Amino acid sequence: MNDFIHPIPEAIDLYEEGDLNNLDIADVGEYLQEKTHIPFRIGGNVYERFSEKRIEKTSRELAGIRVRDPGKRFISGFPFQAEVDYEKRRIRDPEWKIFGILYEGVLYQRIISDLVIKKGSGLKQCILVFTNQLFGTWDEYNGRYHARVSLYGFPSLISITGLVEAPAKPKEFYVKKQMGTPAAWLKEEYQGRFLDHGDRRTTEVLKGYAMQALLFHLTGDPFCEEEDCRLFNGHWQEEVLHSQLDGRYDFCPRHDFMLNQLRGRNRSGRGAVR
Amino acid sequence: MAEKKPIFTPVSEKEVTRAIVDSFARQFIEYVESDCLIIGGGPSGLMAGRDIASKGVKTLIVERNNYIGGGFWIGGYLMNKVTVREPGQKILEELGIPYEKAVKGLYVADGPHACSKLIAAACDAGVKFANMTIFDDVVLREGNRVCGVVVNWTPVNALPREITCVDPVALEAKFVVDSTGHDACVVRKLEERGILKTAGFGAMWVEQSEDLVVEHTGEAHPGLIVTGMAVATTYGLPRMGPTFGAMLLSGRKGAQVILQKMKKK
Repeated sequence: MNDFIHPIPEAIDLYEEGDLNNLDIADVGEYLQEKTHIPFRIGGNVYERFSEKRIEKTSRELAGIRVRDPGKRFISGFPFQAEVDYEKRRIRDPEWKIFGILYEGVLYQRIISDLVIKKGSGLKQCILVFTNQLFGTWDEYNGRYHARVSLYGFPSLISITGLVEAPAKPKEFYVKKQMGTPAAWLKEEYQGRFLDHGDRRTTEVLKGYAMQALLFHLTGDPFCEEEDCRLFNGHWQEEVLHSQLDGRYDFCPRHDFMLNQLRGRNRSGRGAVR
Repeated sequence: MAEKKPIFTPVSEKEVTRAIVDSFARQFIEYVESDCLIIGGGPSGLMAGRDIASKGVKTLIVERNNYIGGGFWIGGYLMNKVTVREPGQKILEELGIPYEKAVKGLYVADGPHACSKLIAAACDAGVKFANMTIFDDVVLREGNRVCGVVVNWTPVNALPREITCVDPVALEAKFVVDSTGHDACVVRKLEERGILKTAGFGAMWVEQSEDLVVEHTGEAHPGLIVTGMAVATTYGLPRMGPTFGAMLLSGRKGAQVILQKMKKK
């Protein structure tokens, strides 16, 4: 566990992309503020302040970072106009509900970074972007792309779709699905054991991911090995639900101490900036 | 005793042959040039054809099989029930296809009833068909705009070249629709010529693929509209599985794109 390697940010900026299916971003912000005494700001839709020309450019960039084959390394290519038009429609509609395209996560982060990081702001802001789109990163170990819930960096990205699709569901779920059991029946049978789209537990679960993003900003190390700590990097849905909802504590003693220290250093930072 | 009159009027063999040849030739000559050529007579092609032709647009569907309808006769695993997700059932209603609710948002219809009604609706709207006719190549004009297709009889394709070598013929049109399913034959032909590059379809993800297929339906290349599962192949979208709502809606969207473009012209 690193100590704080970066200055404590003046504020945590929370942005959104697409329809977040009732995710309560303000509730996530209040949680972070309560635990760290760093104020939060609601930044709104990542695209809303930009000109048509800029939207056109961003649409083209996004259309060019689709992962065509998750089993192969990403190769950039020229997107079709229909793909650019799709991105334009998606960007222009803040209530956009459709997902299912897997984007190259690191390049996605770079595109979003150009939109939300202001020149000269350095590390004064900790920026978190919540999206309903799906991104993945290449896994050298097994030679394929994996969908991710989060990608920490500057800014950090957290995907509500990734939260449902990336951590694995119970093994028996996949076996039964392969045998042809309809998804609707399986969802009923395994109800509660994994997160579904629009799940009422999403906001609570994402508070832990948001804290991981902040810890990454401060220390470069977002995770904890303790499965009861909300900083645990769960790969299975059941692990995610345990560490975020049923753990023995919010944070393990080590991280609790660290957050205490953070609150102590940041007494002046109380109060949300709206 | 009075001689029993035959039921059918006596007509000689040569007259039957003459009627077939004459009727086919007249239609073929007329449709050597159409407004819209649809390659593939599956659900998305039929739906596109029905909507376009109902606006008085001269439309020909080219189908490599003898039968029209593609995979719409049967659902998954050779079972002849087809499913649509909401709002696909609205098209079933519009075409007079009976259906029942399976679960919330999912409807089931009889494949033979659904498919035959859709074919009939396309025919009633004025669509003409060239079945047993296989797509061979594209006709390109200035700026590589797709302006038609080259076709041949399907059986010719099945014979070895040493036995028969029948040259294909070309058909021209203002717009060509690729509704050839996963094969995306027309798009692939452009890819072969280095004009565009497809992505190939991804893994099956029913919930997402239907929306994405409809959203990406449109002009993939000047003069070429892509509908149905050919959209998934062109853009590398997830595979769909045995649901047909997106095929119908994609066909309808393809028709809207063409009608809009024709209006602008």
